[in-house]
Amino acid sequence: MLAGALTILAKDLRLRLRDRSVVMFALVVPLGLSLLLAGILPETEDLTLTAGVVDEDGSPAAASFAEEVLPELQRQGLVDLVDLDGREAAREAMASGDLDAAWILPAGFGQAVTAGQGASLEVLVNPDRGLRAQVARAIADRYGAELDRISLAVTTAATAAGGLDEAGAQALAAEVAASEPALRLVDEPAQDRQLDLPSHVSAGMAAFFVFFTVQFGVLGLLEERQAGTLRRLLAAPLPVASIHVGKALSALVLGLVSMTVLALAAPVALGARWGPPGAVAALIVGIVLAALGLMALVGSFARTAEQAGNHQAIVAVVLGMVSGAFFPLPLDEGLLRVISWVSPHAWFLRGLQDASGAEAWTAALPSAAALVGFAVLTAVLASLRIRRSVGT
Amino acid sequence: MLSAHGLRKCFGDLVAVDDVSLTVARGETYGLLGPNGAGKTTTISMLCGLVTPDAGEVALEGERIHPRATAPKRRLGYVPQEIALYPDLTARENLRFFGRLQGLGRDRLRARIQQVLEVTGLTDRADDRVSQFSGGMQRRLNIGVGLLHEPELLILDEPTVGVDPQSRNAILASVDALAAEGLAVLYTTHYMEEAERLCDRIAIMESGRIVAEGSRRDLVGTIDEQGRIRLEVAGAADEVATAVAEVGGVQSAVVDQGAVVCLVDRAAVRLPAILMAVGDAGAQVTGVEVREPDLEDVFLHLTGRALRD
Repeated sequence: MLAGALTILAKDLRLRLRDRSVVMFALVVPLGLSLLLAGILPETEDLTLTAGVVDEDGSPAAASFAEEVLPELQRQGLVDLVDLDGREAAREAMASGDLDAAWILPAGFGQAVTAGQGASLEVLVNPDRGLRAQVARAIADRYGAELDRISLAVTTAATAAGGLDEAGAQALAAEVAASEPALRLVDEPAQDRQLDLPSHVSAGMAAFFVFFTVQFGVLGLLEERQAGTLRRLLAAPLPVASIHVGKALSALVLGLVSMTVLALAAPVALGARWGPPGAVAALIVGIVLAALGLMALVGSFARTAEQAGNHQAIVAVVLGMVSGAFFPLPLDEGLLRVISWVSPHAWFLRGLQDASGAEAWTAALPSAAALVGFAVLTAVLASLRIRRSVGT
Repeated sequence: MLSAHGLRKCFGDLVAVDDVSLTVARGETYGLLGPNGAGKTTTISMLCGLVTPDAGEVALEGERIHPRATAPKRRLGYVPQEIALYPDLTARENLRFFGRLQGLGRDRLRARIQQVLEVTGLTDRADDRVSQFSGGMQRRLNIGVGLLHEPELLILDEPTVGVDPQSRNAILASVDALAAEGLAVLYTTHYMEEAERLCDRIAIMESGRIVAEGSRRDLVGTIDEQGRIRLEVAGAADEVATAVAEVGGVQSAVVDQGAVVCLVDRAAVRLPAILMAVGDAGAQVTGVEVREPDLEDVFLHLTGRALRD
């Protein structure tokens, strides 16, 4: 059986290569659209802030922000610190585009903290750097919340003790501050992570177009029937199953080649990072199998290759739209996100996100398993329908 | 060599083939003659193991043929009615693909491809894509694919449909030559002349059934006493046919391509009465042809209608 299937596979691949449309759908269009979408969508910039701090206070509380918090953020790659000689220098650097943000610790900052009064931390931001400005504000907010905690502790202790001298207040503030890091960066759960935009768009486009690529293989059976060659294949001394296997193999090979080339090209062309190679490989196999099963099932309802192509295109586009293959869906569990789980594309993207977040290929296995399950279910239904129409 | 018994195939309520039985001997050319829709292609599909009969069975040299049987299919060459080739492959690539499906080894395949290209006169065009071929060349290659693995039985399903006269003659000559080499041939057609020229025995099919079978001589012998009169008339041909059918000795009268064709006992004796009937029907005779019966007349006699209806 395998010899016949491989002969059909070789013939189909030769024909598909001569028909340039498969190359267009498998490689050129998804890569081109990824480039286009990554280029026109906002916030694709590097999120490392170029920022500085101006300490007009000189107190220990101010020093802890300038000398402990910010260097830690710099170490983590979030902030690129520059030296600033005062508030005006910060404004000038911002105006010339050399600075994204600056934190100003005004005089009296430390005293306000130790007195349990509202201390203010000013943030100067470059209005042209929207997302980076938000990050700078978020850092200030987080530090402000930490200071509120310390102020509250000092005030409470002072009230209970009937008053604290300055040395006592400072000692208590230092003790509270030491009890927890002033600013904590916490790893978010993997399911709340999103791929960066180039990665999401390129992976989404690859998953979307692999359904069309696989379609070329699946349509082969209907095309053979229309061309009259199916009768000749059926008259040949080979099991009917080898015809189906040959067609399925050609769809599988086209899909795998397309996804693999795109997975290799996306980092080069777009700087995309799909995640650990093992996870990417497992998910590619899963999405191609799922596409094969689904396209075969949809095609089994059609009488002609044209009709099948139309039905398959509609299904692929709808699933692509609801899955967030074109644009990342919001992270909350809204209706669209719930609907998206019927789409193999969504499982593919989720698998990449999980694996990237956990930095472990095994994190993609649940999504890969879901894709294989989807493939098995649709393939069984498709084979039942196709068996009724061929060779009986 | 090939035997089929009690074949029946239905598509929904339509009975496409009903109780068809036939045999083809080694070295024999057997014709299935019938109009479009008579059930010839469905019969062929069951004989080749493309579809499963609802009833009956087919055997080639005692081995049952059905869609899952692979061994007997090796001995059978099938030439479909359509051009069943890949236009974007070359002639050689098409032959190589179908040869591999037949399980031919590399050396034998290479030799057979060369021989088939020579037989079909396509050696010079072997590496051109089939899409660049004329209709006649495609037809020749279509037959060549069926011959590639040197089958013992060649089944051709209306191989001359849509072919120009020159290519048609070439195809008939090649079938003649294959039969002369001892190949068993099953040939379906709705062209009476092809069946008469090629076939040792002929089965006439109508509405899914074989209504007569035998050699040309046997079949024509069934209406040996009859003659065929073809009347060209100026007037309503349908009314003339009805009037002529009432004349004594006239077995049947139908309109065929604007003319009235009738089968008559002792044509020369009946002709005057027939001409009078035409005049009585208000029409004028513009031409008369009286000739010996042929397969067309047999079909007319058996079914009451012309082959090309």
